[in-house]
Amino acid sequence: MANTTTMHLAISLDLTSMPTADFGLVAGLARKAEEVGLDMIIVADSGPGSALSISPFEATTLLAALATATSRIGLVARASTVAHQPYNLARRFASLDIVSHGRVGWNASLTQNPREAANFSKPEEFSDEDFRRRAEEFICIVQGLWQGWDGDALLFDKSGGRFHDPEKMHLLDHKGEFFSVRGPLNVARSPQDMPVLVLSGLSEPAMDIAARTADLILLDDGPAEGAKARFDDLKRRVMAAGRDPDAVRVLMNVSLAAGDGPDTIADRLEERFRSRSCDGFNILMPARGPALDDLVDRVVPKLRRRGLVRGGYRGTTLRSHLGLAGGGNQ
Amino acid sequence: MTASRQMKLGAFLWATGHHIAAWRHPKAHVTAGVDIDHYIQLARTAEAAKFDMIFCEDAAGLREANVNIASQTSRSIGFEPISLLSALAVQTSRIGLVSTASTSYNEPYGLARTFLSLDHLSGGRAGWNLVTSASPIEAANFGSTGLKPHADRYERAREFAEVVTRLWQGKASDHDGQSFSVRDPLDLPRSPQGAPVMVQAGASDVGRDLAARTADVVFTAAQTFEEAKAFYDDLKGRMAAYGREPDDIKIMPGVAPVVAETEAEAREKHEELQELIPDDVGVALLSSYLSISDLWRYPIDGPLPELPESEGMKSRQALVVEQSRRDGLSIRQLARHFAGARGHWRIVGTAAQVADELQARFEGGAADGFNVMPSYFPGELDVFAALVVPELQRRGLFRGDYEGRTLRQHLGLKQPV
Repeated sequence: MANTTTMHLAISLDLTSMPTADFGLVAGLARKAEEVGLDMIIVADSGPGSALSISPFEATTLLAALATATSRIGLVARASTVAHQPYNLARRFASLDIVSHGRVGWNASLTQNPREAANFSKPEEFSDEDFRRRAEEFICIVQGLWQGWDGDALLFDKSGGRFHDPEKMHLLDHKGEFFSVRGPLNVARSPQDMPVLVLSGLSEPAMDIAARTADLILLDDGPAEGAKARFDDLKRRVMAAGRDPDAVRVLMNVSLAAGDGPDTIADRLEERFRSRSCDGFNILMPARGPALDDLVDRVVPKLRRRGLVRGGYRGTTLRSHLGLAGGGNQ
Repeated sequence: MTASRQMKLGAFLWATGHHIAAWRHPKAHVTAGVDIDHYIQLARTAEAAKFDMIFCEDAAGLREANVNIASQTSRSIGFEPISLLSALAVQTSRIGLVSTASTSYNEPYGLARTFLSLDHLSGGRAGWNLVTSASPIEAANFGSTGLKPHADRYERAREFAEVVTRLWQGKASDHDGQSFSVRDPLDLPRSPQGAPVMVQAGASDVGRDLAARTADVVFTAAQTFEEAKAFYDDLKGRMAAYGREPDDIKIMPGVAPVVAETEAEAREKHEELQELIPDDVGVALLSSYLSISDLWRYPIDGPLPELPESEGMKSRQALVVEQSRRDGLSIRQLARHFAGARGHWRIVGTAAQVADELQARFEGGAADGFNVMPSYFPGELDVFAALVVPELQRRGLFRGDYEGRTLRQHLGLKQPV
């Protein structure tokens, strides 16, 4: 079950360490990660009030720019369910997915950023319970909008005067507790069926939301025994939600400590992976310094020699990198 | 007016072209709405021709409620403009990048942050075109209460623009107003051009006041010289009340040129496009400009019926009605006319004829520049760049090369402190 034979690898770039708005630097890092065949880059978004973590770029705009500077690597951006409207967010990511030819994912956190409400005209924060219920409704709207156009809806028939087949465009007509959205989206169907949904910030009560909706789940690092039990529990919940356990991938967030040699890091990742406590790793690293070089030039080749990381990309979409359905060639 | 005053040019990119039937033209790139490389090519063409900016309009929903009508146009799908322009930002180096975004369906903190990020990605070439969104189709994607009245939308827009301006100035906002509350400053560095450029297009009375107060650039639709001149003088006249100089706003009417080597060829090209418009599509488009839903009930070869004042686009409705009365046009004739240029000014002719007309409005004090709306892409942008731009350059009316780096510099706007 679940645990694929090779591990999935993502990196989360911390752009807060960038002194100036230097897109060229970020693009260089992305291409470096692409050369070694990493599954994806995750761009965090600090959001309001984080005075100590100024990033020069908002995540979705940076992602669009990176999409034109790379050709294979997956690109995931964090975007908040408080800062956006579901229609706008669905549209932004659907469009990014077309810009990138099917390499995009949306990372939603199921933990509220306490500063957001005050900057987005909300009288007060949501209770944790309300925030989660609202987030799930938001996610279902977004995924529904992403499926509003069938893959073969566009006809482009100049002489017949039929641009698309109206039968293959579907209204959403959502009326829920928090939102009312008619649809459809005014962006075509994704080249990878739908952008990948990446959920993070999961507390215990949010695990079932992730099991019902996520394609990829990011979990924090923890003690080995606990991690294995948590992974198995999550996969059970996925099945309980009526989904194939392989339809969801689970990556463990790891920060590489300064001074750890490539052997130490590779051993640690191998041990975690072989203990079947995750499908791979999301490695948090600063955008400056040698961290990425070390990973790409030393750690990944070691893991590849041990047969733990696939060699190069086999498909062109993020779903295909992750071995998820809908991604085309794998 | 000094001899060195030069016109500003925007390249208005839209789907397969501005003509409603553009997508059916044999030379139109029919998959434009799903092809990023097509847009990169258009942006580079416009940049090579030294346009001040490319401009994208936007709607957060379908353009047309009738699904059968919609399926005969290319406008139901396309790129979301922020993601599109962010991609184009790193594939170009000089041209300005202006996108439309709605004050009705966004929050000022998020919008200010997104456009500032686009500004950083492009090295100071971003602009925001403020719209309040007049379509009930869009409203239905953002709640169940329907389209808000015109006055309410503009009151919200005024507050929205005020908050965005303060955020771009790097100020702690601490705003607690009628529609919005925003506590923190933006968590992004200051704009390379001081602040992204503010663009507006609303031409109603309240829209003009908002523009006079906050806009750097105003897009407008004007058919005749007199209309254009009246609008220009009125808007510039309102600026003193807000402590601004007339030159602080560049007024750029839309122009839909159909250009060819000879006038006969240009007319033929135009006719070819007009014949591709299905009647029901033309009438539906005209209906949406008039904000009425039952225009199809009236005889297509008869005159426009009397209309109630709309809550949608007031200024656009007045324009259509005036033209129909003035020229005695039938519904079919009006539909074709407006479908072609969407109520904007159309010139069919040679490069010299187009340049003559642009020069007359520019030097006659009716425009500071023009937002060029090619009928289909990429062909008609290529033709404008190859024929009209060199003609304007020969006459000293348009730059031979970029002098600045930022959009504010291209437009000759002050950098805000």
